[in-house]
Amino acid sequence: MSTDKLVFAVPSKGRLMEQTTQVLAEHGLTLRKTGHARGYRGAFDELPDIEVAFVSASEIAAQIKSGTVHFGVTGEDLIRETIPDADTRVEFVSKLGFGHADVVVAVPDFWIDVRTMADLDSITVPFRRQHGRSIRVATKYINVTRRFFAGSGVADYRIVESLGATEGTPASGAADLIVDITSTGETLRANALRILDDGVILRSEANVVVSNAAPWSESTTALADNIRSRFKALKS
Amino acid sequence: MTAETARQFEALEAQAARIMGVFTRAGHEAVAPAIIQPAGVFLDGIGEALRARTYVFNDPDGRELCLRPDLTVPTCRLHIERVDDPATPAKYCYNGAAFRYQPAGADAAHPREFRQAGIESIGHKDPIEAEAETLALMIEALSAAGLDRRSLHLRFGDLGLMRALLDALEMPPRWRQRLQAQFWRPPVFRAELKRLTQDPARLIKALPERLVRQLQTATPGTSETIVAAHLETEGKEPFGRRTVTEIAASVMAVIDDARAKPLAPSAANLIEAYVATSGPSRNASAKIAALANSAGIDLSAALDRFDQRLTRFTALGVNLDDASFSGEFGRSLEYYTGFVFEIGAPGQPLLNPIAGGGRYDGLMRLAGSPVDVAAVGAAIHTERALAAIEGSIT
Repeated sequence: MSTDKLVFAVPSKGRLMEQTTQVLAEHGLTLRKTGHARGYRGAFDELPDIEVAFVSASEIAAQIKSGTVHFGVTGEDLIRETIPDADTRVEFVSKLGFGHADVVVAVPDFWIDVRTMADLDSITVPFRRQHGRSIRVATKYINVTRRFFAGSGVADYRIVESLGATEGTPASGAADLIVDITSTGETLRANALRILDDGVILRSEANVVVSNAAPWSESTTALADNIRSRFKALKS
Repeated sequence: MTAETARQFEALEAQAARIMGVFTRAGHEAVAPAIIQPAGVFLDGIGEALRARTYVFNDPDGRELCLRPDLTVPTCRLHIERVDDPATPAKYCYNGAAFRYQPAGADAAHPREFRQAGIESIGHKDPIEAEAETLALMIEALSAAGLDRRSLHLRFGDLGLMRALLDALEMPPRWRQRLQAQFWRPPVFRAELKRLTQDPARLIKALPERLVRQLQTATPGTSETIVAAHLETEGKEPFGRRTVTEIAASVMAVIDDARAKPLAPSAANLIEAYVATSGPSRNASAKIAALANSAGIDLSAALDRFDQRLTRFTALGVNLDDASFSGEFGRSLEYYTGFVFEIGAPGQPLLNPIAGGGRYDGLMRLAGSPVDVAAVGAAIHTERALAAIEGSIT
C-alpha cells in the first residue's frame, strides 16, 4: 500500500455490509467493488483516490488500532474492546444508526437478590465462602468488562472467555453470569437471564471511525476532511 | 530490563548470591518453584485485578496456565506438595523470575519480567517473632546487597488493627465481613460506610413486597421454603451454581439489615479516621488509642501487639527512625491479612518500593491447604534494588 492512499475499511459481508453501503451512499459515497467480484477491494465513485478494503467486522477494529487502515465502519463495542484507550487513539466521526447492540451485564432471573452492580458486589463474599472460588463472568468483551466492573467497585470475580453461545454458560455451569450484546433482549429472556438495573455498559451502534495511528500525509488528510465534512454536513 | 546486557546479568547474579546467602544462613531453605503455574490458583484466589496483569495461556491440552506473577503462591503450593501436614513449620527462600503485564507500558521500574528474591515462613507458632524476623532479614539482605541500612525508608500497615476496630464496633457480623472485603477498594468502602449509616436495607424496596412481608413474619428455618415457593409462582426457575439456599440467605440478610439499627455515624467517622491515620510508626498506637478512647471502644489488645512488634523490631536491630505507619497501607495487596511493610530506597519513588511483604494467613488455603496455616513472607524487587545501589554508588 502506498502511503499516499487513504484506506477505508468496510464490513465484508452480510447485513452490516449492505447497511454500510446504503448509509455511505446517503452521504455521497457510492461504493463499488473493483477487480474480481469476490475480491476484497473497492472504491468510491466520487473519491477515486480512496482505496476501500472489505474486512471482517471484528478485524476492522484491530486494523484501526494498528493503523493499517485510515477509516473504518465498525461497532463501538468492538472498538472499545480492542482499543483500551480508544478516546485518544480513535476519532469517532459519526454514528450511523444501524448495528444497534447494547453491551450488558445479565444474571439469572431467579437471583431476586441481585438487581444492581452493588448487589452483585455484595454477593461475592458469601459466594466465595460457599463455593471456594470467585463468581465467574462469561464474555467476549474482556477489556470492556474489566473496566466496567472496576468502575462499579466489583473486584472479586473472574472472567471466563466465551466466544459463542455466551447466554448458555450460566445454565451449563461454565459461568455464573454474563456480559454480552443484546438488541431486543429476546435471547436473554429465552435463557432466563435479566439485565441489571445499572448493567448497560455501552449502547453500541455502527460508527465511522478514524485511526490516529495510520500514516497521515497531506493528501490523505485532505481526503479525510472531505469524508468528515460529508458526515458533519448531513447531521447539522 | 532483565539482564539485557551481560554486565547487568552478572550484577544481578552477584547481588542474588549475596541476598540468598543471608537467607540461607538464617535457616531458610532455597527452593525453585515452577515458573509455569496452573492459572486457577492465582485467578480464583487473587481476583481479576491481578489476572489482568498475569500472562495466562492454554497449553495444547487446553489447560489454563500462567507465568507466575509472584513467587509466594508457587512456594505455598510447593510446601503443600512436600509435606503431609501443611501446618508443618518451614522456612523457604527463593530467587527467580516473575512476570507481570504492565498496562502503562513496561519500563525499568516496571519490567514485565523481573526477579524476586524472597523468603516465606510457613506454619510458625509465634506470629510477632516471625514478622520481626522477616523484616529484619530483608533489611539484612538489602544491606548485604550494598544498601546502607540506615538510609532505608520503612512503611508499615496492619490489617489486623482494621479487623480489631471493626470487631469492637457494634454492627451485625455480615457488615463486618463486607467492610473487611471492601477495604481494598476505597471508593466502594466509603460508599458502603455511608450506606450502612443511612440506608442499610437499600435493596428491600427492590424486593417483591409480598415476599418481604412473608419473610418478616416467618419462623426461623422456613425462609428457604418461602423463597422457593415465591420463585415457583413467579416462574423463575433456579439453575447454575448458586442455589435457592444462597438466594434465601441473601434475601434474609437484606431483611435483617432493615431490622438492624443503622451504623452509628460516630462509628463510621472512627473507621474513616483510622484509615486516614499516618505518621511515624512509634506514635501510631498512641494516636489510634486516642481515637478509640474518644469513641469509647477498647483496642488495647491489638495495639499492644502492634507495640510488641515494634519492640521486637528494635531488638532485632531494625532502625525505626524512618519508619512510618499508614492506616490505609495494605489496600492494594489483596491477600494480606495482618502486618504489612514496604521498604523504600533513597532516590527511588515511594510508589516503587524495593522490597515488601507481610502476613497472609489465608493464602495457604487458597493454594490448596485444607486448613488455615499462618504465613509471613517478603520479597525484594531485585532490579530496583540494583538500580538503587548503583544510583547510590555513582
